[in-house]
Amino acid sequence: MHRRQFLGLSIAAGLSLGGLTGCQPGTPLRIGIHPWIGYEPLYLAEEFGWLADSVRLVKGQSSTDSLQGLMDGSLDGAALTLDETLRLHDHGVNVVVVGVADVSVGADVVMADPAIQTLRDIRGKRVAVELSGVSGVMLVELLQRAGLERNDIVEINLPVNEHPEAWRRGEVDVSICYEPTASALEGLGANRLFDSRQLPETIFDVLVVRQEKARSRKAAVKDLLQAHFAGLNHLVRNQHDAIYRVATRQNISVDAVRRALATVALPDLTANQRYLAPTGRLEAVVLKLAHIMSSEGLISEVPLNYRFCDASFLPRSVA
Amino acid sequence: MRSFLLLFFLLSSVFPIPVSADHALTFGVFAYRPDAVMEEEYKPMAEYLSREVGVPIELEILDQPDLNQALASNRLDFVLTNPSHFLVIRSERSLTGVLATLVRRWEQNQTASLGGVVVTLAEREDIATLEDLAGQTIASPGIFFLGGYQAQMLELREAGVRARDIRRVKQLSRHDRVIQAVLSGDVDAGFVRTGIIEQMALEDPDLPNRLKVIHPQNLSGFPFRVSTRLYPEWPLAALPHVDSAVVRKVASALFALERTDPAAVAAGIAGFAPPMDYQSVEDLARTLRIPPYDQVPMVTWVDVIHQYRLWVFTIVVLVILLIASSLWLGRRKRMIGVEQRRQRRMILGWPQPMLVIRDGVFVDSNRAAVDLLRYTSRNSLIGKDVSAFSPQVQPDGRISQQKLHTLIGRAVHGEVQACEWKLARSDGSEVWVDMTLAPIHEKGEPEPLILCSWYDITRRRNAEQRQRLAASVFDHAREAIFITDAHGTVIDVNDAYAGITGRSRESAIGSTPPLPMEEGSGVFQSARQDGFWSGEFEARRETGETIVLTLTISGVRDEHGDIGHFVGVFSDITKSKEQERKLRLMAHFDALTGLPNRVLFADRLQQSMSHARRQGFRLAVLYIDLDEFKPVNDAFGHEAGDRLLVEVAKRMRQALREEDTLARLGGDEFSAIVVNVGDEAALESLLSRLLEMVSAPVWVSNHSVEVSVSVGYTLYPQDGTDLDGDQLLRQADQAMYRAKHLGKNQSCRFSEGKV
Repeated sequence: MHRRQFLGLSIAAGLSLGGLTGCQPGTPLRIGIHPWIGYEPLYLAEEFGWLADSVRLVKGQSSTDSLQGLMDGSLDGAALTLDETLRLHDHGVNVVVVGVADVSVGADVVMADPAIQTLRDIRGKRVAVELSGVSGVMLVELLQRAGLERNDIVEINLPVNEHPEAWRRGEVDVSICYEPTASALEGLGANRLFDSRQLPETIFDVLVVRQEKARSRKAAVKDLLQAHFAGLNHLVRNQHDAIYRVATRQNISVDAVRRALATVALPDLTANQRYLAPTGRLEAVVLKLAHIMSSEGLISEVPLNYRFCDASFLPRSVA
Repeated sequence: MRSFLLLFFLLSSVFPIPVSADHALTFGVFAYRPDAVMEEEYKPMAEYLSREVGVPIELEILDQPDLNQALASNRLDFVLTNPSHFLVIRSERSLTGVLATLVRRWEQNQTASLGGVVVTLAEREDIATLEDLAGQTIASPGIFFLGGYQAQMLELREAGVRARDIRRVKQLSRHDRVIQAVLSGDVDAGFVRTGIIEQMALEDPDLPNRLKVIHPQNLSGFPFRVSTRLYPEWPLAALPHVDSAVVRKVASALFALERTDPAAVAAGIAGFAPPMDYQSVEDLARTLRIPPYDQVPMVTWVDVIHQYRLWVFTIVVLVILLIASSLWLGRRKRMIGVEQRRQRRMILGWPQPMLVIRDGVFVDSNRAAVDLLRYTSRNSLIGKDVSAFSPQVQPDGRISQQKLHTLIGRAVHGEVQACEWKLARSDGSEVWVDMTLAPIHEKGEPEPLILCSWYDITRRRNAEQRQRLAASVFDHAREAIFITDAHGTVIDVNDAYAGITGRSRESAIGSTPPLPMEEGSGVFQSARQDGFWSGEFEARRETGETIVLTLTISGVRDEHGDIGHFVGVFSDITKSKEQERKLRLMAHFDALTGLPNRVLFADRLQQSMSHARRQGFRLAVLYIDLDEFKPVNDAFGHEAGDRLLVEVAKRMRQALREEDTLARLGGDEFSAIVVNVGDEAALESLLSRLLEMVSAPVWVSNHSVEVSVSVGYTLYPQDGTDLDGDQLLRQADQAMYRAKHLGKNQSCRFSEGKV
């Protein structure tokens, strides 16, 4: 998604906010979600009927749909990356992180033409990146590691799902993407140059809820997390079953699901409690990320006085 | 069950292991399909292992009971079975963990997952969803089959169908038989594991078309039809007694098995993978409560308290509250019991008759009530109502039963009822009671209780009656009655009092009653001394006329014997006194002349004689007879004769002195007593004056009549003779006759011998 687009969306959201009405207690909490291995627990929960009626999943194609929904008020929460959460906040949508879905340990990848062997080789190359998404953060990290500036490369701002097509047309040399696009590019002959394994505990996929909903719909938010952890349990402990279901939904092979699972760490309940604690890892990561994004102009300012994490919705135990 | 032994000897090996027939390893394989098929499938595998491990491998294809028995007798070294069965074996035999998980191959796919299939005949339109299986007969290889029972049961459970909802589960030991049972229509549906249909279809290509899979799962990349979620494939486990070196060798041989190896191809597997997570199978068995998780684990109190802290606390609080309230209630109940007993004792021991009424009849009574009615036992009263002990009709004219019904009706509604009531005793006598009916039940109590008390008022009633009678006598007596205080001041009078005295009741009260003039209040003193006083006296009415009263005053003594009041009764006897006077007059006087008659004359003569004797004077008795009276009578009539007599009598009276007595003895005969006769001469002059006065002419009936009298007289006392009145009168009479003879109009003294 283009940054301009994002701004346009935010204006539209601002206009539509006036007509926004608060969710009645009877209506379900609307949670935006899109295909991603880290979000699979929620899909599984829905499939097995573990999702309470107080929560409804609104399925989009990509995170763009979820962001748009949150900004125009049609969604109450979503599964997003941490940087997307910061961008939302930067645009005035106050959300709180109520759960950590996954931590990228290789899921976010820099795919490069086989001719590019080292990070420094990307200088002057055409780099496909979705600035409004997590790959924007990857780009910043990548450039830092490579010791390059942004104008040392040719930025091609392109939604990640369109990277393979651009690659096929020979329009890009480097793609900053994630699974399953990465696997697709690999199939097209790209090499893994860099991935999130080199950025431990940096790229988080989280469950966020609008701040006012977190206050008014506590029970529903708890139901959401309960469903997430029930699904997570199935995904981890019943992998022999879950992988087939994920493969079916994402329309990829069982082996691809296994590979995708290998690129994310799925924190369980206790890990979540650790991450979301007031002095936990996540608040620190948010701040660090905000500094990077701020310095690169991805967000206007560092939100110093805003608490993003709230561990109070985590269930006491997994049913 | 057929078992067979295959022995292979090591041909070439990098790591030679000393082997002998004694050290042959026994592989137990669970026979989930027909033995022939199983044998065919696993024979090459045994051969492969024998070759790779360098130990003879004995293969035993066993169904579940045989497999369990073989394990129990420790005949097996390795076992390959389904995960559910593995769990049971593991819990019984303390197996080490899973050595490897089987990876199944089908066409180009391979999978380490298995699931359950629910099949029915394709034409069974009535069975389309899991819910439709309720009430159906189902074939299954057995309940320890993961893909042949447990996986399906979990899905059914989540669809709301419990094991008890299924009419019957036929356990057929083998998957193939399940399919056959479904095809033959013996059962409505069958449970088999994944892959069975596909394998059987190799021999019967039409089979998939004749069967319908219920609740199909769309799992891309999974090679089989499936109705349930997936579970890890069969585990291969080593028994604890197997030497670890041998286990390692077998494991490495299993992992080394390539999917293209003839042994793998024959068994239809892709090889063996590192052990998978069997947690989901355990969870399944726990959820379904089937062995080895059919027993609820021993939960300690600490666990319970830890898990249900809030509940335990709540329940403890509730129990404490319950106990506290029970104790409180118990205490209250005891107190109420004591209270009730005290009340009952109070009622039973109360000296006045008391009864308890419920539904209109007595349910309890005390001794006093029984005694009042003169029964011997309380049982005579219980169960009956008040009207059973009452006369048919009450004195006010109402029928006892109806009156009672009204009273009890009001009492039930909370009003206290009190009335006088007449009871009939067992001996027929009647007794008056003051009956009180008081409700003693709480409002809203289902059975209204009424306390009935009786107070015997018969004596009071009788006293009242007497009093009423007395009052009536007092009021209606013809005699005047008054009551005074100790000093004689009137405090009450009756109507007759007012009638006689002419004084109103108001003015009479506070004053003195009519009393004899001379005695006055002294009569009360007499009455106090003698107990009564009576007498006759004259009194004055209010109007001033004189009346004669006869009065009796009695003292009324109080409880100490002192006279506190007087009662006086008097009546007006004025009329009877008058009558008496008249009668007395008539007896002693002559009606015509008003002179004393013969009786009074005799009486006076007697008196005068005794006077004369006592005082020593003389008296004379005169006998006077009118001369020539008869001719006057005849000539002028009786009336004129009477008038003449009256005139003559008057003149004679005038001729006599005051102290003398003149009497008419009858007809024309008179007599007189002249007292204090001094000498003969005085008497002679008196007599001549009398003759003279009588002889003066008298006007009778317009005629002047001249009459005279002849007078004989005698004196008293006479010497030597004791005379009585009659003798004296006879002497005077004789003397009178002599005077008549001598020529009338003269007087003649009696003398002896002269006639």
